[in-house]
Amino acid sequence: MTEKQLIGRIRELRQIKPRKDWVVLTKSQILGEVERERVSVSFFPLWRPALATVTVFGILFISFGFAQSSLPGDFLYPIKKIAEKSQAVFVSEKELPKYNLEIVNKRLDELNEIAQTNQVKKLAPAISEFQANVSEAAKSLAKVKGQDVEKIVEETKKLEENKKKVEDVLATKIETEELDNVLSQIVEIQIKDLEGRTLTERQEEILAEAQNDFDAGNYSQALEKILILSNP
Amino acid sequence: MVLEVDIRGMANLRKIFSQIYDKYIDKIYRFVFLKVNSEEIAQDLTSETFLRGWESFKNGNKIENPQAFLYRIARNLVIDHYREKGRTQVVSAEFAPIVDPREDLEEKAILTSDVDRIKQVLVNLKEDYQNVIIWHYLDDLPIQEVAKMLDRTEEATRVLLSRALKTLKQSIDLRNQ
Repeated sequence: MTEKQLIGRIRELRQIKPRKDWVVLTKSQILGEVERERVSVSFFPLWRPALATVTVFGILFISFGFAQSSLPGDFLYPIKKIAEKSQAVFVSEKELPKYNLEIVNKRLDELNEIAQTNQVKKLAPAISEFQANVSEAAKSLAKVKGQDVEKIVEETKKLEENKKKVEDVLATKIETEELDNVLSQIVEIQIKDLEGRTLTERQEEILAEAQNDFDAGNYSQALEKILILSNP
Repeated sequence: MVLEVDIRGMANLRKIFSQIYDKYIDKIYRFVFLKVNSEEIAQDLTSETFLRGWESFKNGNKIENPQAFLYRIARNLVIDHYREKGRTQVVSAEFAPIVDPREDLEEKAILTSDVDRIKQVLVNLKEDYQNVIIWHYLDDLPIQEVAKMLDRTEEATRVLLSRALKTLKQSIDLRNQ
């Protein structure tokens, strides 16, 4: 073998190379965080104000989304409450009783879910939330005038149905005395008002049925009949 | 603010060292492999070389010649490797099969045989001979640069290279007999 041939053969040793997967793995082990820092360090400062705003809104948006399905006692539940209170600010006084009844119904839905899934720990905070909202709904209902009854009928009916559902699951009575008292007053005022009016035979029959519902404490059914008589 | 500057500075250092890694990983691995003749040991010592290089680099040590710097670390690691347990350099058969695109099977067989022989002989040469052959003929470094890395004059390096080549050839001839 000549010297030239020898040098040629030596150069063939250039074919010795490390395995590619090992090269990549070793690099990532030594400089593991290169790619992550490249994104956070070189990209973020340029776009900081816009990125920060988008990030904050993004987090809020996602949190509000998740909070909607949260239950009393959950980490995100306070966000759900804040969202509801913020919404209430934009509701007119006339619509407020209906809105508050909707919220009470939401609380009942939560109670129902908790009862169905046997989340015992969440029961106490859920009942507490429910009662707080019942109280709030009662306050706004106390301001309801005759012509606004129509707005609360549907939610009141739904409330009674939901309440019954929860009571069946929990095998216990859900206390809504404060709300019942207000509804009772509303129904009573409406019945008295209708009694002073001239009614057809059929209307008097309906009024009598409403009176029976009222006596039985079925305020939503009484309200439904009052509504029929008020809007013939 | 200070932290941010530090993080950005560190990111820049990583970026620079990442490029150094990409540029020299093959050379350093080959350099180590030809001295230890074991894929596993070559991988260990090569990764340790770059790890030490990175530690030094990120701690602010000025590195004017990354190649010379990495080769110095690698050389020391190989020396430590043999010194550590009184190991001797073992000539072994196939550790890194060399793939050659040539179609002619006979020629390929001869070539592979020659190259493997060189590989086996090279591993038993003294360290300076190995270095001068690898750096000049495999890495294509000019004599001037090899001289700097060996801390010798250019003339002394030429003489060293000539002797290294002569010894290699003699060893091969000896094995061929």
